Amino acid sequence: MARLNDDAQWIILMGFLISFSFFFLAIIINQSTVVGQTTAESVIEFPKNDIRDLTGVIEYNTTVSNSTLVNSDITAIAMNRKNAIVRYTVILPQTPQDTHSYALIHYNNGVTEYDENWTSL
Amino acid sequence: MVKNTRSIESGVSEAIGFMLIFGMVIVGIGLVTLYGYPLLLQQQVSADEKIMEKNMIVLQNDIKSLAYKTVPFKETSLKIGGGSLTVYNSSSGTPSSTIEINNFAGTESYLPPYIPNTRFIPGELRYESMSSQTDISLQNGAVALRRHDVTGSVMLAEPRWFFDSTTNKMVINLINITSTNIMAKEGIGTVQMSLVGEPYFNETAIPNPNEIEIVYTYDQIQDYSVAWDNYIWNSWNIPQSYKVQRIPDPTNHKIKFRFKNDGSTDMMLVIKIFEVRIKSI
Repeated sequence: MARLNDDAQWIILMGFLISFSFFFLAIIINQSTVVGQTTAESVIEFPKNDIRDLTGVIEYNTTVSNSTLVNSDITAIAMNRKNAIVRYTVILPQTPQDTHSYALIHYNNGVTEYDENWTSL
Repeated sequence: MVKNTRSIESGVSEAIGFMLIFGMVIVGIGLVTLYGYPLLLQQQVSADEKIMEKNMIVLQNDIKSLAYKTVPFKETSLKIGGGSLTVYNSSSGTPSSTIEINNFAGTESYLPPYIPNTRFIPGELRYESMSSQTDISLQNGAVALRRHDVTGSVMLAEPRWFFDSTTNKMVINLINITSTNIMAKEGIGTVQMSLVGEPYFNETAIPNPNEIEIVYTYDQIQDYSVAWDNYIWNSWNIPQSYKVQRIPDPTNHKIKFRFKNDGSTDMMLVIKIFEVRIKSI
């Protein structure tokens, strides 16, 4: 009588292992239906363009004559349109030793709080 | 092979064998139906609820885009399973909550039209689960969850109220959900919403020792007070020295929060009100 050949049992065992690992993966996926703030979300939420716009305006603001008026306007517009608190102070160049203008910028929109010591070219 | 041993099978009955096997199969099916099926249903209900929690956060993001990112219109398709999604606009029936922002004496309100005791009614988008007795509500820019069988509620996503300590500014964003008619949906639907008009914007200076008072009034049944209480008093990033007192008033379904300006400059209280119209569900 032919002996039972069990050389291929490992295929069945591997099948078991794989199906059990699927089971555990399914449990893990099930846990992730509601997620919190992810890194990708934080990157998207960062108001990069708003801050760039702001630095652009400040750069222009260093050259205008009535800068205090512009300053308060920018603060009001940022709050009204972009829902962000903005405050900045400009330090004009101390020529001839230093030809750069500096600005201390504070930006906060409730999610991102950003402070920058901006230097002109 | 050995021939002279043979098993005696005179007591073996095919019918009894069949009955035994068939009985085991029936008992097996019975047990699964009795215990397994309700478990599966429960699983389905909690999955529906979880999906709706996520959906409400997606809708909250839509409102955030309308309010804070100057996007004019938003549309989201979603599946509402195991319950219904209803718009309760700010002018309908009994609101689940109202907010007053007054000066401490209560003689002046910081909300339009600045008459004492002016109430802001936020309106809400509410998912009511029929099977699990859970309500998930998108109100005033926050997502809050409440179970019918227990008292208490929890905030799944917070509103964007914030305090900036550098400039001593307190920003309160109020969101007013409106609709032209009463709408509810079950199954697959598309929620369309848009911003109405220009947002209301007001900035008031609060000099140093002065106080403001936020009064949260809740409905006796639709009670999300625990979630809002925790948010306003604990999670909101107001410095500890600005918090004066929290006065719960359960008989009138109110919680009062007193805050004072403890900074060296005038505190600016910024109140913005956005009106979001739900065009369809």
